[in-house]
Amino acid sequence: MNRATTADLALLVPELILVGMALALILAARRIQRTPLALIGTILAALAAALASTCVVPSDDATGFGGMITVDHYSRFFKVLIAAALALAALLSVRSLDEEWAPRAEYHALLLLASTGMMLAVSSLDLLTLYLGVELMTLCSIVLVGIRVDRPASNEAAIKYFLIASFASALLLFGISLTYGVTGTTNFAAIATSLRDLGSNPLLLVAMGLVAAGLAFKIAAVPFHAWAPDAYQGATAPVAAFLAAGSKAAGLAALGRVCLVAFGSEARTLTWILTGLAALSIIVGSIIALAQTDMKRLLAYSSITHAGYALLGLIAGTSEGASATMTYACFYVFMTLGAFGVVIALGERGEKLDGFQGLAAQRPGTAALMLLFLLSLTGVPPTAGFVAKFGVILNAVRADQVPLAVLAVICSVVSAFVYLRIAVLMYMKEPQEPAPSRFPVTVTAALAVTALVTLVGGISPNSLTPWAVPP
Amino acid sequence: MTDYPVLTVTTFLPVVGAVLVFLLRSERLARWITLVTMLATLIVAAPLYSRFDKSSSALQFVESADWIPNWGVSYSMGVDGISLPFIFLAAVLSVLCVGASWSSVRTRVREFHAALLVAETAMIGLFAASNLFLFFVFWELMVIPLFLLIGVWGGPGRIYASVKFLLFTLAGSVLMLVGIIALQNLCGTLDFKALAKASIARGHQYWLFAAFLAAFAVKVPMFPVHTWLPNAHTEAPTAGSVILAAILLKMGAYGFLRVSLPILPDAVQRFLLPMLVVSAIAIVYGAYVTLVQTDVKRLIAYSSISHMGFVTLGIFTLHRSGVEGAILQMINHGILSAALFLCIGMIYERTHTREIADYGGIGKPAPVYSILLALFCLAAAGFPGLNSFVGEFLIIGGAFETRSWLGAMAIWGVALGTIYLLWLYYRVAMGRTNPGLAGLALELNAREVATLAPLALLAVGLGLYPECVLSYLRAPVAELLSNAGAP
Repeated sequence: MNRATTADLALLVPELILVGMALALILAARRIQRTPLALIGTILAALAAALASTCVVPSDDATGFGGMITVDHYSRFFKVLIAAALALAALLSVRSLDEEWAPRAEYHALLLLASTGMMLAVSSLDLLTLYLGVELMTLCSIVLVGIRVDRPASNEAAIKYFLIASFASALLLFGISLTYGVTGTTNFAAIATSLRDLGSNPLLLVAMGLVAAGLAFKIAAVPFHAWAPDAYQGATAPVAAFLAAGSKAAGLAALGRVCLVAFGSEARTLTWILTGLAALSIIVGSIIALAQTDMKRLLAYSSITHAGYALLGLIAGTSEGASATMTYACFYVFMTLGAFGVVIALGERGEKLDGFQGLAAQRPGTAALMLLFLLSLTGVPPTAGFVAKFGVILNAVRADQVPLAVLAVICSVVSAFVYLRIAVLMYMKEPQEPAPSRFPVTVTAALAVTALVTLVGGISPNSLTPWAVPP
Repeated sequence: MTDYPVLTVTTFLPVVGAVLVFLLRSERLARWITLVTMLATLIVAAPLYSRFDKSSSALQFVESADWIPNWGVSYSMGVDGISLPFIFLAAVLSVLCVGASWSSVRTRVREFHAALLVAETAMIGLFAASNLFLFFVFWELMVIPLFLLIGVWGGPGRIYASVKFLLFTLAGSVLMLVGIIALQNLCGTLDFKALAKASIARGHQYWLFAAFLAAFAVKVPMFPVHTWLPNAHTEAPTAGSVILAAILLKMGAYGFLRVSLPILPDAVQRFLLPMLVVSAIAIVYGAYVTLVQTDVKRLIAYSSISHMGFVTLGIFTLHRSGVEGAILQMINHGILSAALFLCIGMIYERTHTREIADYGGIGKPAPVYSILLALFCLAAAGFPGLNSFVGEFLIIGGAFETRSWLGAMAIWGVALGTIYLLWLYYRVAMGRTNPGLAGLALELNAREVATLAPLALLAVGLGLYPECVLSYLRAPVAELLSNAGAP
């Protein structure tokens, strides 16, 4: 093995910043527990990491650590996205940390470490580093879900999440080992080369299926979605938001790179697997969401549906398709963080569907923002959600998957019913509860940022395209 | 003088007003800002009428800019003789909607006017768009303010009506989205003019026609998918009903003219007969259902189904006089359905009932109102010298040219239309004054007369001199039919 050099470490500057801040927070935990320092530190670290991943590290594509880690446009894009999700989730966490007892420093350190794992996953060129990144992300997320130790619901959610996540990790690891058995390597490029030489192999199909299944758990695609509703419901809303946004983006990024780079030559099998995952996620997510009365559960099923839509871009196996998925992931992160942001802003009231009754009469501005996010989640122009959906469906049609495209749009009408139920409650019912208290300024800031991206993304999606370069 | 991009300014000026209305906290100010913005929109659109070249079928006032180049989507706008009258109609009716809501909307005034302004942008933008992507953006944008207008400020069944309206229109338009994406994939462009020149395989055309039909048929609405309309029109507040009946229904028919006829000519030929039959059913069935309505607003709503049947019938005759008549009739129906809904809204504000049985003999206490109502009812019934007559005459002429049984069905529809409208007028305005109305000040005030007057002028003006719209239609319709391969 090569020894890691300074040049190698330079590739990991964003991750190192996050880890450094996490360690600092943990070391200083006892002194800063009652101060906003942890929040400030986290946001600074996120900004620094985003800045570092665009500016500081070598501007050209570069690989290091013996070809295991890369810095290319793809990983830069997702690193900035993850840093944004981290900063927004930290901003949204203020109120829940004020109201309930939770160790602030550790909470933020876990957010930072989970983001480190995500960044590692999106920049790895090797199945093993990918696994390490994904596992770091998952383990930190599990602790975050269960961080309210005094709440049984939170503990239960964490245990469920832990069991299913370990199962998923086992599948992923098994898939990796089978891939290694067939090809003799875990490096993406080397896998691709040896697959081209070897031709098709039944064992390989199993391996691919297992790797895809393991990653499908992370993005909560059906039939590997069961953990998401429980985990989101049991966790505090900001943690659920972070899971929905961050781990979905990282999982999609990892899946995209594996599909395009490593298993790209087995396009037919991949199309089968991805089509199945996408179709099931879209159908099941949109239909089960109809019955939900808890906002976090509803948004969990919404995130399952959106995982399906995002996968539509990868089916074609083309770079345009991958770039459509990247756009989708990016816009989805902001719109789901926005929707969760409103839920968080309303506090207890926002957690149940009925709490939205009459919101427009009490808080027209907040209701209008929620309407914007809901329209974006539905995919109605001129919001970012429409542009994202247009892109992935265009690629599904290009891949000759017209029936799948029709299915996707029909399910979007079902989803529309889900989201518009909230709009109906907000605008067309009389308020049942007293007006919500003033929001913390951090929540307002997060809502402003997400709303801005959701609108600008819909009106001028081109501003993003130069960045969405597939691997 | 006209150095500014006329269409863009006309389209987006209302949104600026909407933002202002939403940000300022005063309700009184909201009404005035809305009114001023809408009048300003009419004024900035003035060059469209003064500098338009009627002899050309090409798009005029073209604006184009890159938008999403990697999907071949540009921001391009332009108007021809078909779309120009609708832009005028939308701009005028928006102003009248504010007038009609001046005293009737009392709750959440700012949001109401913001929704009206956004709807105006969507209406004008839709008719000004010269590519399918932009067309779809405005198409969908239109739905949201109307959903809120119906659902928040509507009658007792408003929630059911608004959700039904939304789900019907969304279900149609998502299929159109797939159609648009497939067209983009096949032709690599979404520009209307470029698509009209592209040759699309016959088999593809059939599927694309079906996808677009889903969206257009719901909006028109054509016969089997019309069931959202009575609920939505009846429950909506007056301004909502006006926008729905006058503009939203025209969007579907406009879609046929912009997309189906020029881009998918083979499919149009293939599906001609079913479309004509469905239109004829809509005319006659709609008229019979209208006859038995006991609710004034519902009656006008059902009559729209019958009248829009005339429009689709005229379009699918693929005959010059039929198509020109259909477009003229779209304008006419826009004017008259708006006028009738405004009349009903004004009297409802005083009596708070929509049952025909609760009215009767209001001619005596409210003579001006009754005269205007009579004018609009006669016009809608196709009385010679008023506007609908010309449109219906042209459509029926076109129908007889292609298939004589269609002409017969259409005449049957006209006869029924005369019956239900005159019977409505008889029951509302004539006879002995209903004792339940005693003591109510039924006569219109100056603001209401001013709201109805422009429509009355248009109804008479277009009846006496239809050429002022028809002259715009000649060149573009001729080109349209040469593309669509008229029989």
